[in-house]
Amino acid sequence: MRYLPIYLFIAAQLLPKLVAQAPPDSVEQRPGIYFPQAPQPGHWRRSLGLTFSPAPPELTEELRISIPAVDFNLQRGLSRHLYLVGRLQTQFVQSSGTLGFRYARPLSERVFVSIGDDMNGWFGILKIKDVFNSQAFGFKNFPNVSVGFRPSPDLQFTLKAEAILTLYYQSAVGGLSVSQRGQSQNGYAMTVVLEQPYYHKRHMLIGLRTAYTRFNWQFWPLYSTFDKHLFYPEILLHFIL
Amino acid sequence: MTRAFCYALVGLLTSWAVGCRPVYEAPIPYDSSNKPGTGLFRPAIRRSLDGVYAVSGGGGQFGREVSLKWSYVHDGTDTVHAATILTGVDAGFFNLEINQSVDSLRLSGFWRTLVNQGTGQAALTVVRKRRGQLLPYQGPTLAGDTLALRGTFDTGTGSATQPITLTYLRPLNPKPFEVIAHRGGGRTADLLGVSENTLAILRRAARFGATGVEIDVRYTKDSIPVLYHDNRLNQRLVQKNGLSGGISDYTFEQLQNSFRLQYGEQIPTLEQALLTIVDNTDLRFVWIDAKFSGPMNRVQALQQRFNERARQRGRQLQIVIGLPSADAVDAYRALPNKANTPVLCELNPALVRELDASIWAPRWTLGPQTEEVKAMQAEGRRVFVWTLDDLRFLEKFSEQGNLNGILSNYAPAVAYYYYTTH
Repeated sequence: MRYLPIYLFIAAQLLPKLVAQAPPDSVEQRPGIYFPQAPQPGHWRRSLGLTFSPAPPELTEELRISIPAVDFNLQRGLSRHLYLVGRLQTQFVQSSGTLGFRYARPLSERVFVSIGDDMNGWFGILKIKDVFNSQAFGFKNFPNVSVGFRPSPDLQFTLKAEAILTLYYQSAVGGLSVSQRGQSQNGYAMTVVLEQPYYHKRHMLIGLRTAYTRFNWQFWPLYSTFDKHLFYPEILLHFIL
Repeated sequence: MTRAFCYALVGLLTSWAVGCRPVYEAPIPYDSSNKPGTGLFRPAIRRSLDGVYAVSGGGGQFGREVSLKWSYVHDGTDTVHAATILTGVDAGFFNLEINQSVDSLRLSGFWRTLVNQGTGQAALTVVRKRRGQLLPYQGPTLAGDTLALRGTFDTGTGSATQPITLTYLRPLNPKPFEVIAHRGGGRTADLLGVSENTLAILRRAARFGATGVEIDVRYTKDSIPVLYHDNRLNQRLVQKNGLSGGISDYTFEQLQNSFRLQYGEQIPTLEQALLTIVDNTDLRFVWIDAKFSGPMNRVQALQQRFNERARQRGRQLQIVIGLPSADAVDAYRALPNKANTPVLCELNPALVRELDASIWAPRWTLGPQTEEVKAMQAEGRRVFVWTLDDLRFLEKFSEQGNLNGILSNYAPAVAYYYYTTH
């Protein structure tokens, strides 16, 4: 946060130039998932891909663990500006589902913004003889803001900032369970995504999400005990269907 | 414009990822004198202070109850006494030493929370409460008065002005139980001011509330058992020196000459560690985690030698070899003589019985396993779980009250739940 003045300065330099473009079209015509522009009302958008997130060394020490997650996104236009977003992620041992909305508006022909809020539920079950008899689930909320920039018809950049709010956590080992309400495991994340056609004009999204958070559902069996923001990078690779 | 935007975007994300990464530090805000002697804190007074106390003041950051326990470190004929106050909040504790420069029962030191970087100074004076009034305390006889500690602390400001009062409630839980500190006292990552698996942390373990320690043992290239946790000599534990490899790639002399642990210490031998525990500390349990590959006879010889040394000194100390893997079990089985070689088995109950291990130590992530625990205890074995750091589960396991010990990086939290249990 000590770099906030620098971010604001960059934004102040860029935005006026970007906004001073041709009049916008608020409805999305091109494939995209992260780009903050609503699909046509009643239309669906989908993507399927993988994410890769290495465990923080604070938790795994000398081990390096990175389990890919299958990631599916689904969106539906509700109006010219409003759309629903859904997301399913699974690593089989643990899975996560998200449902939320976005309100998107164009600032110019090239620059778009959205605000949104996502509710997330996740669960995990891990049973390994003589090692684990554990399960856990929880609920999170992700208020978010995105800024999109389309320098050419096929090229879409998105910068998304989100807060990570933990609403509820429950975990059990054997018959012993603990739970926690409230927001003691909060964090924040920034994502940058590029969406464009690649192989055989198949649209893809490539992105990097960097989160500082006290808890990441993908690593719940590591039982982080640090009351600190740990760094979780996550690479996103998707085909937009 | 496109290029400028791309550069700005990449720069923004890079500065976010790198620049926002917090640096965590928890420097100890107090210089301990480690001065031998007890001053006015005669043995009877120290004994009278051990107990559970109600907290008033402190802004809630030390909870509603704390427990106080004395420990000591011997150096020849010198003994340094320290009072540890276990708070039960964020694995918090006070380490206080006797202030011999004043003519009252005064303790000075610092407090710390292990799950984060909470720290500050503290100074407390022993007093007695009579009808709401705080009066000087001179001896263990209270004649109806209530013992209390009154003083001030700070939250890292350097000026200890926030008031706190601890009022005696009851004695410590007397039930036998082992509070076992992981890696000799705690992880290097928990910013304890000393590295894990060192002589320095062994001397401090009791100040974290531990009654015992777990230490990790590996063999050097010339077959010297030393204390080190990881497979590799990495920057998590060792200061950067351009060298790589594992402990078994270097002779002991090479390790001494070329490697320093994160806080500047040398990697100690198992012999040095056991000598420190027996001769210098009041710890009563040692769990030697057999992380080595190869024969176990050298470790067995040291175990037997120091168990005997402790016995001769009248110490209630037990040194056991932990068997965490099939390789370690094979090494134990290969020993020609297993007499006077108590072992702790981390594997399944059938193997515990087959090896006749005196302790079964399953992972805590398997749950309470109540029936298996009862069966083991009925056979005369003790049951410990490892490595339990999740404070919510730690409280739950402690409430169950059926274990004989818990291994944790947060010994202060284990000790708090143990001592404050009614």
